Amino acid sequence: MSRTREAFVLPLLFLTVALLGGVRVADRLVLLPPPLFTLVLAFLLVGVLVRSGALAPERLMSASRSTLANVSGAVVIVSAFVAATQAFNVAIPESGLPRLLFSVFLLVLLLNTFAASPDRVRVLRSMLVIFGSAFVLKFIVLAALSDPEGGWLKRVLLAMLEGLTLGTLSQDLYRPATGYLAFVTLTLFVGALALLPPRRGGLQPWQDDPIRVELDTPTNLRTPTDPRT
Amino acid sequence: MRESTARSLGLALTAAYAIFIVGLYVRQPQTVAEMTGALTASVGAYRIDDRAFADGLRFFRGDQFDAARLAFDRADPAHQDSRTQFYIAYSYYRQGWGRVYNDDALFARGLEAVDRAVAAAPGGRIVVDDPDLQLRSADELKAELQAGRRRELADLNPLKVFRRRK
Repeated sequence: MSRTREAFVLPLLFLTVALLGGVRVADRLVLLPPPLFTLVLAFLLVGVLVRSGALAPERLMSASRSTLANVSGAVVIVSAFVAATQAFNVAIPESGLPRLLFSVFLLVLLLNTFAASPDRVRVLRSMLVIFGSAFVLKFIVLAALSDPEGGWLKRVLLAMLEGLTLGTLSQDLYRPATGYLAFVTLTLFVGALALLPPRRGGLQPWQDDPIRVELDTPTNLRTPTDPRT
Repeated sequence: MRESTARSLGLALTAAYAIFIVGLYVRQPQTVAEMTGALTASVGAYRIDDRAFADGLRFFRGDQFDAARLAFDRADPAHQDSRTQFYIAYSYYRQGWGRVYNDDALFARGLEAVDRAVAAAPGGRIVVDDPDLQLRSADELKAELQAGRRRELADLNPLKVFRRRK
């Protein structure tokens, strides 16, 4: 990874996500700090990135690097964590039942991704799907349901959710600028994740596991009863 | 550029940006003007509109407090100048003061303004050298506003009607 990317591009991108992630435009500007639960989600996300090889901490901090380079690498990791908290702050609704459902859904999704140990590309695609879906649900579907004037989408959704009270679903109404800002924020975040230094050599995550490596080596596939041995 | 120079520059830039972001989240600016004002104030480049401030002062001395606040708001749209915010707080005090009772709502807004003034002042200390004012520091003004909102037995003292506005 180039030193420009490590020293300037990544920290500034992640900090921009941290700045924009809490911005909500209503009658006045509101800057929402991240809820505590987003810290848990961000911690899991960083874990998933490391496990999948999308983030190689040893390329940012190691004994072979100078102190200044290690500090610079630590800043990238910390700023990625802070940006992740704010990205979840954008993605999770602010109140009511949707907040609870989104939080649980994201937690289960991240735990599942962590357990599945996908490779870097799959994790990045997964992040795109997770944040893209959350954006659509929060800023298009829930925003339409919360709009007191309503539009065609609200009428369609109300027809689909016949008999369900919207009291627990409706959210604070923000100006459209909030949605655009959220889109930019999430795009920047996923883009910055793709720029993180990956594990060298394109190793698969399971190759850390000696048992799996042994089994997958052709010579080890032979059994003791194999006549060729 | 040498590697150590580039990395030091990157760290300094990142630290400054992070401090700015934390500062914004702490200050909670409510308008774009306040946000840009906080940004310029953080680098010491914030200036008020002197002409609007002079207009505000003229209205304030003529007891036209609503007009004075409009002019002060025009002078300091980002609420970053401690002296302007002090005068806004003082205008709420004078407008809300009454011989029999004080206007709680105006006093409450005065307290908000004086808190903004203290937050914007270096070291939180404000002393305004204006012979027209009897309360020349933010501490005195805040204490007066707080006392005005307090309910106590002394409020029933009929001699209270002879007190004077400061």
